[in-house]
Amino acid sequence: MNRLRARLLAPAAALAFLTVVAPLAIICLYSFMSRGAYGGVGQPFTSENYTRLLDPLYGAILWRSFWVAAVSTLICLALGFPLALFIARSGEKKNLYLSLVILPFWTSFLIRTYAWMFLLRDTGLINTALLSAGIIREPLPMLYNNGAVILGLVYGFLPFMVLPLYAILERLDPSLMEAAADLGARPRETLFRVILPLCAPGIRAGAILVFVPCLGTYLTSDLLGGSKTILIGNLVQNQFTSARDWPFGAAASLALMAAATLLLFAARRSGEELL
Amino acid sequence: MKRRAFILSAAAAACSRGPRLNVYNWSDYVAPETIPDFERETGIFVRYGTYESVQEMLAKVMSGNSGWDVVFPSADYIQPMREMGLLAPLRPEWLPHLDALDAPFRHPPWDPELRWSVPYMWGVTGIAYQTSLDRPPCSWGDLWNPRLAGKITMLDDPPEVLGACLKMLGYSLNSSDPAQLRRAQQEAIAQKKLLRAYLNAEVRDQLVAGDVAAAQAWAITAAQAIEAAPDKLAFAFPSEGFARFADTVAVLRESRRQQAAHRFIDYLLRPEVSAKIATATQTATANGAARALLPAAMRDNPVLYPSGGTLARGEWFQPQSAASQRLRDRLWTEIKSA
Repeated sequence: MNRLRARLLAPAAALAFLTVVAPLAIICLYSFMSRGAYGGVGQPFTSENYTRLLDPLYGAILWRSFWVAAVSTLICLALGFPLALFIARSGEKKNLYLSLVILPFWTSFLIRTYAWMFLLRDTGLINTALLSAGIIREPLPMLYNNGAVILGLVYGFLPFMVLPLYAILERLDPSLMEAAADLGARPRETLFRVILPLCAPGIRAGAILVFVPCLGTYLTSDLLGGSKTILIGNLVQNQFTSARDWPFGAAASLALMAAATLLLFAARRSGEELL
Repeated sequence: MKRRAFILSAAAAACSRGPRLNVYNWSDYVAPETIPDFERETGIFVRYGTYESVQEMLAKVMSGNSGWDVVFPSADYIQPMREMGLLAPLRPEWLPHLDALDAPFRHPPWDPELRWSVPYMWGVTGIAYQTSLDRPPCSWGDLWNPRLAGKITMLDDPPEVLGACLKMLGYSLNSSDPAQLRRAQQEAIAQKKLLRAYLNAEVRDQLVAGDVAAAQAWAITAAQAIEAAPDKLAFAFPSEGFARFADTVAVLRESRRQQAAHRFIDYLLRPEVSAKIATATQTATANGAARALLPAAMRDNPVLYPSGGTLARGEWFQPQSAASQRLRDRLWTEIKSA
């Protein structure tokens, strides 16, 4: 039995080693090397790339990235929870609604982000409609600001919040809600004191699934933010392109990963205390 | 058409065991028929790959066994690539069409004897603007005009933005002097609150739509925008001076197909081949004989081919030392964080 298990697991383990562990080891190694004159890495080994990260300039970038990711996650939760609850209770139409949530994944994220640019532009669909309806006189500056970045992130990652919440809500025993009502709880109390606590694992899973990719994003801040702010993802990308400083880029991406991992552990700890 | 060409070349690859050549180029930098025509004529099968930035190409070929034979480095990468021993010396006797090049490109500053590279395409950076503006911009300084707030864009490219600021202050755009770079950075930060965004080629559509009033833009992007809206848009070559850049073709030292590689480069140098590429890509060609074959509207387009007097204000990008590169990246990160 154990040998069978080992054999069946071997391909997945090999794949994980080749595509996760080995590249990470290389990034880790690079982060302790010196930059080559035109990209690439060289001797000597140094920890300078990490001390450089202590500079307040990079701290501010990391902080801004956390802030953008946190706001996006909270909005996803606020939008995703009612949606998941609605889908979980919509009987036969459940599958239809669920496929509508997943439908956007059939198109590339890049193309959908471009579509948002067409909607939000000064001469885009929304501004043109509002202008011709006489509601506004000047086009609203909707594109190229932090709001547009957060909108793009919420739009892109909302399904990752809805799906785990739905999975929990769907399995929630209706008799618990009935019991709460029988014991005199108003709908509001039932929601906040019964349903929400029972959903904690789904909320945590959804929050992690949204927060982590938001933290590393660089495409959305470039396209919808007009490259006017720099997030940690953009910093890493710049090091591998225009700055040609791979070791520093490697160190910055590892620091990002460490920060995200710490946060996940903290979330798990607090989750265990809650339950 | 493209798809058919692809299937045909894939089929050719599958059945032929004939000679091969591996060509690594920028995306959209040849005409659709360029590669199939070469294969048909020579029987050499071309494995063709594309990249989006010169750093991407350099990262691949730096190992010295990338498997590519011919690459298209930017002019300011010739010296570093040569110093890293990545380039093979060219053999002029295998390039009979070298004299098709425009006179200035037969002795370019980055490779005066054309020992390592053949100039391919070139361009400049200037200002694209709406002709409806009551004071058309003619200098970089005009992009600091508060009346255009929210309607100005700059390129999302550190050497270009710092270069424009340096030029405005009267310095070389290749400056590595920390004091000059700091002053340039202060100008960039001061300008940032007027900016709509940092955009590269995407600015084209926004110029045409009228979202952007004035933009730091590559002449190629501007020419395309002007073609779409000829009476609304124009292009200025800033009075303080501006950046010039070029792309070249070179053979990698690692290549074991030197002769086929030269044959390919000479094929690209042929005026009729080069003219087709210039037409398809709408880029300024370094090939004077090819330019003569272009339709008049393109051949005499003043945005793509400014007069010699105008070009005299241009300055070629040069490679930066590691220290200067690092300082520039830090300044850029600070601009973006401001």
